[in-house]
Amino acid sequence: MTATSALSSVDPARRGGPDGREPREALARRTAFARGILRAPVYLLLAVASVLSVLPFLWMVIASTHQTSELFGTPLPVLPGGELWVNLARLQESVNFSQVMLNSLAIAVIYTVFSSIVSVMAGYGLATYRFRGRGVLLGVVLVTMMIPMQVLLVPLFQMMASAGWIDSYQAVILPFLANAFGIFLMRQAFLDFPLTLIEAARIDGAGELRTFYRIVLPVARPQIAALVIYTFISQWNSFIWPLLMLNTEDKYTVPVALNTMIGMSRVDYSGLMLGSLLATLPLMLLFLVFQKQFVSGLLGGAVKG
Amino acid sequence: MRSRTLLAPVVALAGAALLAGCAMGGGQPAGEVVLDPDAKLEGEITVWSWDVAATALDRLGDEFEAAHPGTTVNVVDVGYDNAYDKLSVGLQAGSGLPDVVTIETDRAPGYINEFPAGLVDLDPVLGDDEADFDPFKWQAQSDADGALKVAPWDSGTVGLFYRTDYFEEAGIDPASIATWDDLVAAGEVIKAKTGHTLLSLDVATGGGFQMLLQQQGQGLFDENGDITVNSPEAVEALTLLQTLNEKGLLKNVKGWDGRVTSAKDGDSAVTPEAVWWIGTLLGDAPELSGTYGVTELPAFEEGGVRTSNSGGSGLSVPAQAKNPQLAAAFVAFALADADNQVSMMQNEGLFPSYLPALQADYFAEPQEYFGGQPVYELFAEQTANIPAITFTTDNAEASDIVANAVVAAVLNGADPQQTLDDAAQQIATATDREIAE
Repeated sequence: MTATSALSSVDPARRGGPDGREPREALARRTAFARGILRAPVYLLLAVASVLSVLPFLWMVIASTHQTSELFGTPLPVLPGGELWVNLARLQESVNFSQVMLNSLAIAVIYTVFSSIVSVMAGYGLATYRFRGRGVLLGVVLVTMMIPMQVLLVPLFQMMASAGWIDSYQAVILPFLANAFGIFLMRQAFLDFPLTLIEAARIDGAGELRTFYRIVLPVARPQIAALVIYTFISQWNSFIWPLLMLNTEDKYTVPVALNTMIGMSRVDYSGLMLGSLLATLPLMLLFLVFQKQFVSGLLGGAVKG
Repeated sequence: MRSRTLLAPVVALAGAALLAGCAMGGGQPAGEVVLDPDAKLEGEITVWSWDVAATALDRLGDEFEAAHPGTTVNVVDVGYDNAYDKLSVGLQAGSGLPDVVTIETDRAPGYINEFPAGLVDLDPVLGDDEADFDPFKWQAQSDADGALKVAPWDSGTVGLFYRTDYFEEAGIDPASIATWDDLVAAGEVIKAKTGHTLLSLDVATGGGFQMLLQQQGQGLFDENGDITVNSPEAVEALTLLQTLNEKGLLKNVKGWDGRVTSAKDGDSAVTPEAVWWIGTLLGDAPELSGTYGVTELPAFEEGGVRTSNSGGSGLSVPAQAKNPQLAAAFVAFALADADNQVSMMQNEGLFPSYLPALQADYFAEPQEYFGGQPVYELFAEQTANIPAITFTTDNAEASDIVANAVVAAVLNGADPQQTLDDAAQQIATATDREIAE
């Protein structure tokens, strides 16, 4: 059915009437319908994709409510079992889970706050000020991003050991405060920042700090939200460095503690699944809180103006 | 302008290298640690272990403290597998390690060769007990000069686990199986009568090839460090695996989880595996209680060796330990003591490599899971028979090449002799070693 035939079926008295509202609405409805048909395969594809991405998560929920020995059987359980509280009690008992959750939260929050401050300020500086050595400085930042972690492990470890910081949280947090990716992300974000706004603030007599806090920060909120989410997730999931630095079970972070549940001749999968499930909750919460800003932050680079 | 943009990355690179590398050169601690068996025991030690091993040491630590007032033993569960990341970085950096670390037998030769000064020579404290330990462990965990670097702890003595119900249904007496040929013949009958395969193996990781090699007293290298992966014994082991697959007696599974699932589903009739597999069965397949028995590994020739090794671990004292004397005393207390080794078997399921412990009554007790068969007795008898083999720094690399050869021969039907000749050549190229005559 085409738009022309749609028009011809409308009452002739109304067709092309003085306001012309009705036909246009019908047209809009028709095109929306046609668009819907066109989009059906897209939605189908998206539905399949979301089912596929939800399945592992669903399996995590199911697995965390069964005994480990049931997870090796054929067929695999498809419904939640009744072992959730038993698994939770064991998780708490074997790795002191509530404590390590708190540890992880404390580390991730502190790291996110300070690392974001460094990234935002450094990124702003590199993007808006012109000074001697700016290119070199940016180059150094980028190059540290390119050095693989494995190369850094031993020298960094030695630095922490000679500072006497092994088994302390500052050793987990400090070495990565200046996060190259974060700085670069913020620099790119501030490159698009309208200089005229800053100039206007200056003309009005605002100092550099005042300009930064009052003018720049509020406008850059979406990008900062994206940065915060990224920084928090990377610290929350970070494994190898906390593993190397922390030597006391009560100081472990969640990934390090969960790793101790992998045994020599047995793996406590239901405990692991439950722990991983609980570990994703703070991330989901964070994403829900920052979702609006996050999405516009991601699109900020794509759709200019 | 042009030259500046070109130069900027170079300067940046130099700067970054400076930033990243400014703490280089810690290296090994100066001065060798020599243990004194009569040293006064005092102070505090920290022990790294994992899983049930950590539980065992924690328990024994309390007893040690009671026996030696003024000492403290802290045990930390650093997690299994990734503990090696901590260990490697600590040895490389020359700092950050505790007084005692746990190292598995498979990994021990790598660390001993890679960090000759990194681990303390335990001979002054344990040397007198050499004859009391599993000879294979002792050799694998000593350096080239025979100095013991990792004290033998639990043993990976191998036996043949079999499904009593499948054997009964097929009318075969497991006791009648003396050689691998017998087992292959039995496997064909079982397959015909019950429909079950004989073995579930993870072919991609080598499918137990090295276990079969060690059974014949061979490693990937001989005592001169020459490559032996294409020896007649190796060809025989690989031919056996190939035959199993050609006759449809082998179920190829993927990884550890695949092996556990396959055992739980009852795919196959036998599992040649170390004594610690009992822990896996009890924990992950409790419903199969009463369906399993254990017998000796079939020999390659009538009267040949009927066991091998798979896994197991030991305790070591890093040279950077703050209290090496106390650390070594604790290691000796835990490992070179029959009662303590037996208690770790009873409470945590760690099978001793300390031979006097294997005389204990506990090992003769009937095991309910195995229909009342005293299965530990068999492993206890076989532990002293595990053939000793030589490890080198290149074992890890050679293992990967050999695993590929196993896949080629077993799954793709390549000629075993030809495949192993190629593998030996590859190892020779990769490691600069000679191929043994």
